[in-house]
Amino acid sequence: MHPVLIGQLTVDGLLLGGIYALSALGLNVIFGVMRIVNLAHGEFVIGAALFAAVLFERWHINPFIVLPFAFAAAFGGGALIQRFLLRRLPEDLAAAETTSLLLTFGISYFLVGAGLAIFSGNFRSVPFLTGAWALGAISIAQTRFVAFVTSSILALLLALLLRYTALGRSLRATSQSIEGALACGVDVERVRTFAFALGTGIAAASGCLLSLIFTVNPETGANVTLASFAVIALGGLGDYVGTLVGAAIIGLAISFTGYYASAQVAQAAPYVLFILVLLLRPSGLLGRRAA
Amino acid sequence: MKRATVAGFVLVVAALALIPPFASGYVRSLLYITVLDVALAYAWNVISGYAGYLSFGQVTFFGLGAYTTALVVIHGHVAWWEGALLGGALSALLAVPLGYLMLRLRGAYFALGMLGLAQTFQVIANASGFSGGGSGLFLPPGSNTLAVYYWTLAIAVLTFVATVFIDRSAFGLRLQALREDEQVASTLGVDVTTAKVMAFVISAIVPGLLGGGYAWYLTYIEPVSAFATRFDLQAVAMTILGGIGTVWGPLIGGVLMSQVSETLAAQFPQTYLMIFGGLVVVLLLFLPRGIVPAVSAALARRRARA
Repeated sequence: MHPVLIGQLTVDGLLLGGIYALSALGLNVIFGVMRIVNLAHGEFVIGAALFAAVLFERWHINPFIVLPFAFAAAFGGGALIQRFLLRRLPEDLAAAETTSLLLTFGISYFLVGAGLAIFSGNFRSVPFLTGAWALGAISIAQTRFVAFVTSSILALLLALLLRYTALGRSLRATSQSIEGALACGVDVERVRTFAFALGTGIAAASGCLLSLIFTVNPETGANVTLASFAVIALGGLGDYVGTLVGAAIIGLAISFTGYYASAQVAQAAPYVLFILVLLLRPSGLLGRRAA
Repeated sequence: MKRATVAGFVLVVAALALIPPFASGYVRSLLYITVLDVALAYAWNVISGYAGYLSFGQVTFFGLGAYTTALVVIHGHVAWWEGALLGGALSALLAVPLGYLMLRLRGAYFALGMLGLAQTFQVIANASGFSGGGSGLFLPPGSNTLAVYYWTLAIAVLTFVATVFIDRSAFGLRLQALREDEQVASTLGVDVTTAKVMAFVISAIVPGLLGGGYAWYLTYIEPVSAFATRFDLQAVAMTILGGIGTVWGPLIGGVLMSQVSETLAAQFPQTYLMIFGGLVVVLLLFLPRGIVPAVSAALARRRARA
């Protein structure tokens, strides 16, 4: 194998991983606070990607201008879902997990259907910044690089929010212990709504970036949910640093299998990794072994 | 079960067996889809309803059955039902090691693991030459839709009878115990691994057997429709509507909903997904335990008053 080729595939994979990292961070925020895996996560990602693609197609609107609006819209949508749907689920924890999975599974198909009705089943992407920079023998696609940088900035903002703001502190407190947070006067209900809204908002933001790289249609959401879940399964649920490592691994896996097998097989690479990791190290590659 | 219930059930099955030869093509296909949906819902109900392991990838076995049948009919020149039996056997064989592996995962991990498995099988069918890739496989002409209907009806009746037995057996109790609390069940001496792997195998054989009939019925299969997670969405929606983890739930939910789905799927394929997805949400909020427990609770209340 030629070293330039390895370098090229590595760079492509890591840049791609940066975008998956953002989507997975959104999923992880929701899981951390609510202990819920949002199966409709990918549909939020793809929904934003399709909106960005259509706006670019029709009026040549820059996807980076769409991004904050997509974030805000999905934030609002997520808040409504939490407020009016998830919040009504039973309190009992074991039943809540089952019901939340069924509920978000239903929401995901609702959104797939809505997406097909609005956007049709056509594959779309944003043909924006199609050039590449040369770094020695390795070429860096401008879209991938810009999307990676944006994704990193947003991930950093999220980290700062979690670390240094009062809201971020309540969010982390709720992740650690609901009773503890309640005892300290945290409005857990509000934190949950904020977490779910933030998670779906981040999903939409990552969708705007994904639209620069991939062609998507409404039915590709499940792939994104699975890839994002694979990322956090690799890194450990609720572990934000692990998420970045997991994303790099998934990005590399997709990039290398995409070259050596085919783009189709590359789609399956995240699941295969995901299942292997879950079976061999159920608490994630970096995670401490669960009891 | 009361004698009247059994008699009613026998009558319904007899009607379902006698009507199709005299019915129009439309009614026949509607009845086929109904019994297919009911059987798939019953299969899903064993692993996800009784054992509590939500699977969004049982369609893996349906697609496996469909492809096995298509391949042996095309290359082996055997009858379709022999292919379908082989599909069921392969599903069971695959489900044993797969069950031991996947059922170590819980909750969302298992749900997404199964969803990923179905997607992986779809990718394999898409990428392999022997399965015809994305353009799929054509079965030889001469498909007998009536035979497929009886095959599917027989399997639907068997899944129902199996559910009646599971519901009353010690095995069914073991499944419900591990659904409520796996650790406690294990501490009390339930061999949880064997119980849940058995449930998983039962839930895999049924779609494996049905997939072959489906391939012969359509005379054409391709990866996206053979491994469509839509089938799992339907099984989920139907079982929740009727009552998850109950004997009658999948039957009632399946019969009610397949009438809606047949009409919608033909005319508005997108609205159809929206309605099924939306229905799952609405049901979970307003009728979370389904029709059967709601009705039996109402009956019990009336009896108490009398």
